[in-house]
Amino acid sequence: MRNEIELEGIIEDYLNGKLTEAEANAFEQLRLNDPTVDHKVVAHKVFLDSLKDYASNLDLKNKMDHAHDQIDVDALSRKLGPHPSFIVNMWRKNKSAIAVAASFILLTIVTIYSIQQTTEQTGSYKQMSAELSKLKSSTNNLIRDVKSSQNSKVPVKPVKFGGTGFAISSNGYILTSYHVVEKSDTVYVQNNKGDLYKVDITYKDPINDIAILKIIDKKFSLGSLPYSLKKGKVGLGESVYTLGYPKDEVVLGIGYLSSQSGFNGDTLAYQLSLDVNPGNSGGPLLDNSGNVIGIINAKESYTDGATFAVKAKFLQEALSSIPQDSIVGRISSVRKSKLSKLEPSKQVSKIQDYVFMIKGYN
Amino acid sequence: MSNKLSSSVPTDREVVLGVLNNSEEALNKLYTGYFPMILQFILNNNGDEDDAKDVYQEGIIVLYNKIKSGDFELSSKLKTYIYSVCRRIWLKKLAQQSKKTNNISDFEDVIAIEEDVEQHEEKDKQFDKMQEALLHLGEPCKTIIQDFYINNLSMQEICEKFGYTNTDNAKTQKYKCLQRLKKLFFQS
Repeated sequence: MRNEIELEGIIEDYLNGKLTEAEANAFEQLRLNDPTVDHKVVAHKVFLDSLKDYASNLDLKNKMDHAHDQIDVDALSRKLGPHPSFIVNMWRKNKSAIAVAASFILLTIVTIYSIQQTTEQTGSYKQMSAELSKLKSSTNNLIRDVKSSQNSKVPVKPVKFGGTGFAISSNGYILTSYHVVEKSDTVYVQNNKGDLYKVDITYKDPINDIAILKIIDKKFSLGSLPYSLKKGKVGLGESVYTLGYPKDEVVLGIGYLSSQSGFNGDTLAYQLSLDVNPGNSGGPLLDNSGNVIGIINAKESYTDGATFAVKAKFLQEALSSIPQDSIVGRISSVRKSKLSKLEPSKQVSKIQDYVFMIKGYN
Repeated sequence: MSNKLSSSVPTDREVVLGVLNNSEEALNKLYTGYFPMILQFILNNNGDEDDAKDVYQEGIIVLYNKIKSGDFELSSKLKTYIYSVCRRIWLKKLAQQSKKTNNISDFEDVIAIEEDVEQHEEKDKQFDKMQEALLHLGEPCKTIIQDFYINNLSMQEICEKFGYTNTDNAKTQKYKCLQRLKKLFFQS
């Protein structure tokens, strides 16, 4: 016990460098010779170091506490602490999250909007009545002048609106698109021989885009109609053709039925793969057997070859509006198309006599 | 939000010299100079004034040890160093309390100080161990040890303070206390 205490005293003195040089040398010799002593020295050093660290940390903490007491923490907290308002805090803390959320919402809106843009056939719907510019009509004007010398009834004014129509009775009822004549007060029809007849508008249906004209001349008469009205379903891909007057000469257009519904899913109409031009509006749409299956009314301006036609079954209503006693040899009385046995090219030559150019003036 | 703090702070060189010379005045200046920065950080990140005090004092201890160990180079501003250390310590505490540590509002630049903080944690464990051991040692041993090793009283002074008849008795008593303390310290 005594020795132990002495030894520890020496170790402490040794570690603190309080031994004389001779004593220190002797002690180091002792450490070398006696591993137990050496171990005690090392252990004691570790312990003393820890104790010293502890002491200095404690000292530092005390000093810091002292310094801390001199700070007005409350006042500082009020100045530096978070804003008392929940919303302001929320904003400060979650600035980035809010920004991300906002941009995500924005992106979603833009994406949805653009998807809608691409799925809808928006705004590209163009009705096919020819609104002839003054420049174009000046050429027409020349022709009219020639004609006017033959027929005093013909007005000298240039044609404002043009389209196509077709006979639905042998005594001068003509079916066309409503939009062809909607802006005109005076309407004439012209057949493929160039004869011009004045007509009255006897029926208007803006919803189905149908109008019925009546040639005023009581003596006017056509042979019995070669085509019939087909109100039943027409198969997808079935060949169709139309005759129309995009120019002063009748033009044949051939295509096929590409969809059972029209613009933006409009069930009143068919969609056709068929090239038409301004002036084709109101023209008859016929299938290969010479049945009228619809009436051309519009095309999509940005998609080539997407044309729309009002379905024939919606023509029925228009037809029934005509006084029954005034109509002779009407289309619905044609049981079977006389053209069904003919080739399309032959059908065309028969039909073109019954297709008229519509000329509107205002 | 960048409430940059304008309270007077000592220059970095002043602080380093002050720490090396154990100057209490330098410590006071250092302490009061940067406390608002840490207080602001802690208050705005789910902490209160006491958290700020604890974290800041730990941060200062890390800085002290770093300067005293001699390998402190003024490669960064002292302010940045203190901020980074305290930030690291606070994030660890938040994680331990399993509070969220994302969306930390920062007020200063941050530099890498992981190593220093880890070293500090090691030392802090030793500190806690020693504190624990001293606590279990009981009186009068605790005071004798503290007086001798911490307050650097001589054996003679201790002998008088505790009324031992001679220094040998006091030495024996100190020896016994130290043996017990060592046992407690190394065992825990």
